Order: sequence, then C-alpha cells, then structure tokens
Amino acid sequence: MASAGEFAVTVSPHIRSKERVSNAMRDVLIALVPVVAVAIYYFRWDAVINILVCMATAALTEVVARSVARKKITLTDYSALVTGLFLALLLPPAANWWAGVIGTVIAVCIAKELLGGLGRNYFNPALFGRVSLILLSTWYVWIGGGGFKGSINGVSGATPLFYLKSGALGAKPSYGALFLANPGGSLSEVSVLAVLVGAAYLFYRGVISWEIPTSIIVSAFILSAILGVDPLYTILAGGLMFGAFFMATDWVTSPVSSNGKLVFGACIGILVVLIRKFSAAPEGVAYSILIMNAFVPLLDKAFKPKPFGAVAAQKAA
Amino acid sequence: MAELKTFKGGIHPPYNKELASGKAIKRCPVPAEVIIPLTQHIGAPNEPLVKQGDRVELGQIIGSSEAFVSAPVHSSVAGEVKEIAEMPNFTGAKVKSVVITADASQPEFQKKAGKDLESLTAEEIREIARNAGLVGMGGAAFPTHVKLSPPKDKPVDTVIINACECEPFLTCDHRLMLERTEDLIAGARLLKKAVEASRLIFGVEANKMDAADILRAKASGLSDISVEVLEVKYPEGAEKMLIFALTGRKVPPGKLPSEVGCLVQNVGTAVALFEAAAWGKPLYERVLTVTGPGIKEPGNLLAAIGTPISVLIDACGGLLGSPTKLVMGGPMTGWAQPGTSASVVKGTSGVVALTADVVELGEEAECVRCGKCVDACPMFLSPNYIVQAAKRGQWDKAEMWGALDCFECGCCSFSCPSYIPHVQYVRKAKAEIAALRKK
Repeated sequence: MASAGEFAVTVSPHIRSKERVSNAMRDVLIALVPVVAVAIYYFRWDAVINILVCMATAALTEVVARSVARKKITLTDYSALVTGLFLALLLPPAANWWAGVIGTVIAVCIAKELLGGLGRNYFNPALFGRVSLILLSTWYVWIGGGGFKGSINGVSGATPLFYLKSGALGAKPSYGALFLANPGGSLSEVSVLAVLVGAAYLFYRGVISWEIPTSIIVSAFILSAILGVDPLYTILAGGLMFGAFFMATDWVTSPVSSNGKLVFGACIGILVVLIRKFSAAPEGVAYSILIMNAFVPLLDKAFKPKPFGAVAAQKAA
Repeated sequence: MAELKTFKGGIHPPYNKELASGKAIKRCPVPAEVIIPLTQHIGAPNEPLVKQGDRVELGQIIGSSEAFVSAPVHSSVAGEVKEIAEMPNFTGAKVKSVVITADASQPEFQKKAGKDLESLTAEEIREIARNAGLVGMGGAAFPTHVKLSPPKDKPVDTVIINACECEPFLTCDHRLMLERTEDLIAGARLLKKAVEASRLIFGVEANKMDAADILRAKASGLSDISVEVLEVKYPEGAEKMLIFALTGRKVPPGKLPSEVGCLVQNVGTAVALFEAAAWGKPLYERVLTVTGPGIKEPGNLLAAIGTPISVLIDACGGLLGSPTKLVMGGPMTGWAQPGTSASVVKGTSGVVALTADVVELGEEAECVRCGKCVDACPMFLSPNYIVQAAKRGQWDKAEMWGALDCFECGCCSFSCPSYIPHVQYVRKAKAEIAALRKK
C-alpha cells in the first residue's frame, strides 16, 4: 500500500482553472492580429519594420534587465512581446526605427522591470514608452526625425483628430471610413472594425471585461455631446477605441473591482475629451490612461467591494 | 426556463461527478484496527472514557466532554483498546486518539425501538443529537445540538437541507438522497421540529435532478416541505450562499444563520439524526465517496469512523496509475494527505485521488491584478489585497480587505492565473489577527 510522503501536500484548493498569465498574453497577441494585418496592409514595410524592431527590442531588453537583476527570465509569459507589439502599434508608420528601440527600452526597462517586473508596474509600459518618446522628441529632435513631434498621434500628415481640432470639417473622413479603414494616425488607429474584432476575441476568452471599455466610450460620448463636439467622431477617431479595449484594460494597471473599473473608465473618457478640446494636443488617450493609472491604488481602496451581507447589516441597524 | 436560484460570484470547476454518482453505497470492510480521534468536532476537546486493554462494544461511547460545544465519540467496532495516544489526524494536527483492535467477526448494529418520532419534543431531539455525537457532516463538523439551540431572541423559521454537494467529485450526499430518501425527509423534519421552524427547504443543485425528483415525489403530501433546484455553481452549498439563494436573506459578516432566522444542515447529518432518533444509533460510521482519476473503481462507501484511507482505497480496487495528490474531503476545501494513514472522521465526505493531468502543480508567480479573484469571491472580498497585506505582514490591512470574513472556499486560487495560494495567506492572516487580539 501507499506509504507516507508520496503525495504532494499543499493548501486547498487542489484543482485550478487552466488560466495562466501566459495564456492571457498569448490571447492578447492573437487579438492584435486584425489590427496588425490592417496596419501592414496600409503601411507595408513601415509597419513591418516598426513591429519587428519593437518586439525584438522588448525581448532583448527583458532578457538583459532580468539577467542583470539575477531574476528568472520570464519571456515565456509573452508580456515583453505584448509590450513591444503595443508600442509599435502606438507609433506612426513614419517613425524612425531608433525611436521604436528607445521607446521599447524605456517601456520594458524603466516602466516595468525597474519597478519589479510584471505585476508591480504602476503605468502601462507601452503607453509610458510612447509618451516618453513624445516628450523626449521635443528636446531631442533626432528621435522624432520630424516624424511625430508634438502630437500624441504622432503623424506627419493630417490625422482625423487634426481635422476636428482645426475645424477643417469639410475634409474630415466619414464615419464609415473611420470605422472601416482610414490610414491616418498610428498603426493601431486605422480601423475601428479591426480593433473591435480583436476585442471581441478578448471578451470571448475572458481576458477583458466590459466595464472599462464601456465606461470610457459612454463617458467620452456624453461629454462630447455636452461640449458640442461631434460625439460619434470622438469615439471613432484617434486612439480611443484601441485605448479603451486594449490599453486601459491592462490587468496590472487598472482597478480590480467592478465599480473601480467603471469609475476608472469614466474618468479616462472625460479626460480624453477635455484634453482634445482644451489643450494644445489633438489627442489625449495615452495621457488620460496614464493619468488614471496613477489613481488605481486609490480607486481600489475607494471602491473596495462591500463584503457579502454588510449592506444589509447597515440597513437593519 | 426560469433562471435557477443562485448567488453572485463563484466558479464553474469541472465536476467529475459521473465517476461515482451511479455507484450504490456499499459497506467498506471493517479494518483490523481503527484509529478514532477523540475530538472530531469544532469546540472543546473530549476526554477518553476508556483505557488501554478495555473491551469496547460497537457504538459504545469512548470520549466526551462536559462543555456544551462538543460532541461525544463512539466506538465504530467491537474490539479491544490497543492504545490511547496523540496521533496526527487528517489535517496533520496531533489529536488524542483511541486505537482499537477490531474483533475478527463484527456484530450487526442492533436497532433499538426508539420513541415515536412524531411525539419527540424539541428538547428530546437536541438530546438525541448530542448523545449520538452528531456534527455537521459536510466537512465543518460543528456539533449539531449547538446549531439546534439558537438564541432565544433569534427564532428560526426556515430549515434548509444543504443538498447541493457543490464540491467536485463527491457524490455521497447524492447517493443518500436516492437511496435513503424517506429517512432523509424524516431526519430533516426532526431538525425542523427541534428549532420549531415553519418551513423546510431542500436545496438541490441542478446536476442532481434525479434526487430532486425523488425528494419531490416522496414529500408530495407534506405541505411544509419544498424542494428547490439551484444553479450548478461552486460554492452553492456554502451556508451563507445557500441561504441567500433560497431565501434572499443575507447573513451579515461574522454572524450565524440564526441571525436571519435560518438553520442549514447537511444531508448526511439529517440521515444520521433519523438513525439516532429511530434506531438509537450513534454516529460511528458514515457514507463517503472514494473517487478521482487515481482510483480504480470509484464508489460510495459506508465506512466506520477510524478507518484508514488505505482500507478505503483497497475497497475501491486500489490506486490507478500514480496519483500525485490524495485529498481528504473535496478538491476545493479538502486536506492533502502525505500518505494513506489518516483515518475517517465524522466530517470526512470523501477521499479524492488526483492525477497529474488534473492537479497541475504550478509555481506561485507575481499577482498581475487581473481581478479574477475579486470577481469569483462569493463573499465580495479582495483576495489579492489580503495576500498583498499578508506578504507584507500588514495584518490590520489584511483584516480591512476581509481576511476574517473568508470561509476559504478557494474560488480565488482556482481562478488565479498566477497560481497564488490565497487560502494559505488567509489562514496565516487569520492566525496573526487572532494572536494580535489576544494581546
């Protein structure tokens, strides 16, 4: 008969779901396929080079950073690759390859690994890298190479949001074009449809939940309408859809509770509209998400779920 | 079809009930030696009433305590006391236990003609429950007579029979419902009478429709009984979740079901109360499930308290392949066993042998704040923050995030993509908070 010590002894539960961080990250990579495909279709080698450079840099940066810190190499969780791909998709097609390298190193090394690695970072690494590039390029022009200075969208040509900002409404793309394909802005901003297809996959796989994207879109829509900005244009143009479904939903840098997520998203939507309308920048998605990233610990505390039965107890008292 | 009653949160683990749900209850051979822990309940420890070398009869009381919150222990065999010693129980804790060498031939239990069940008073039922050593047989093992004595200012109007059996793999309650339907209903009515409640509800999960149907059929003439079908979701059978699903009442944090006029008892306990009242039979044996992909012939056994796991496994054809984990109880809340020497106690609902393909032994990784534990928690706590606080030794914060309200169902760890053992941290936090309060 069996003797002592032959079975593993751990605390319950003894069965686990099949969910793993690596599976979720792989799902994100899969969900980005439509966005990547559209980007490559319209921007050809510019897109391919951006993506390859950023993903390779991200992987390399993580290996080097974790080796230096004598930590286990965690490439197999795919998070570095996801960060690299995100950063590439946030860049305009005309970005210099070295901009991609610098942005990715900042994203992976500073925004993630220096803070302790995946799970410890306060800011979405890819957005942090992207915004760092914008700020750096205002001081070091060679980074931008004239490509994307001063604009979050970072496009040399006119972006949909530029039309909105400048009031040159006659030339702006139609809703239909924004929804299907309008190659202006960064790699990820071509097609709302491509974003939605990928997002649907993430919903299906349970990687993202409805609260954050919905509250971003609804709040941005409502505030635009109040401020007299075309609300449909607000949500279709620029990086709002991509940000709402792919960036703001980042597990690590968003609240954990349902109510916290709703408030987080609503604040992002409001900030996007305010930045677009009242600041010099035409786009505000990246800034808005990063600003709200900083409030996540506070939101988690403020919107801590009430324990089961606690509400009833207060009513009874 | 109308939506089934349920609670908010929870998980849908693979249930694997089909391994044993079709297997009729059979008697497990009485082992040559039983190890009976003297204390098998939550509450005050028992003292032995026998000594080494004593002759004991089947059903003889061998341990008890004067304390109210306790339940006596009876011999599950006829035989001779070999020794009384501190021995590790199924949790690994050392408990004073009576080792009895069983006679080669064991007597059948002689049913005693009890009183007419209808004529029993509430006080008599409580007395019967206490003398028979009844405890909650779903796993918690809280003395039944204590539960049947709610505070005077908190009358109980509803008795709920927990017939969910929401733990994956386990099927012993299911079998009891099918094979002992009348006894179960009789026992449940005794419970109702003991607390003078007005209604009796059986809460059955929808994966046991045959049990719900037979209960409905047998209880059809009884207007005080209703059989409700609940969504198949873990932990549907957790006391607070079950009360909410069936009555909409919410037991406040830190309070007992009597706070909202409810009493919840497990199927096995109700049957045991019937046996005690009708036959004078103390709780010295129970039905449990021996199952899992690592068992050759999974089944449901009627086993003597004190039977070692090894005997149970042999009675089910032995181990199949090389299981990586052996769990006493269900896979969500049970206790992993290092070997097969631990013995069956009153709260043992099963033994589950898990194989490598089912029980992936992962490595704990950093929390990625996905929030899946928060969504899954049926108590609406924040398991991720309890873990964070526990890791930092911030016990006040662990309490703030709900450590004390956690009943360790394991939904958080089940859902966690980083393989974090939340329950381990919660137990640590509970112990530390309790220690701080004592100071």
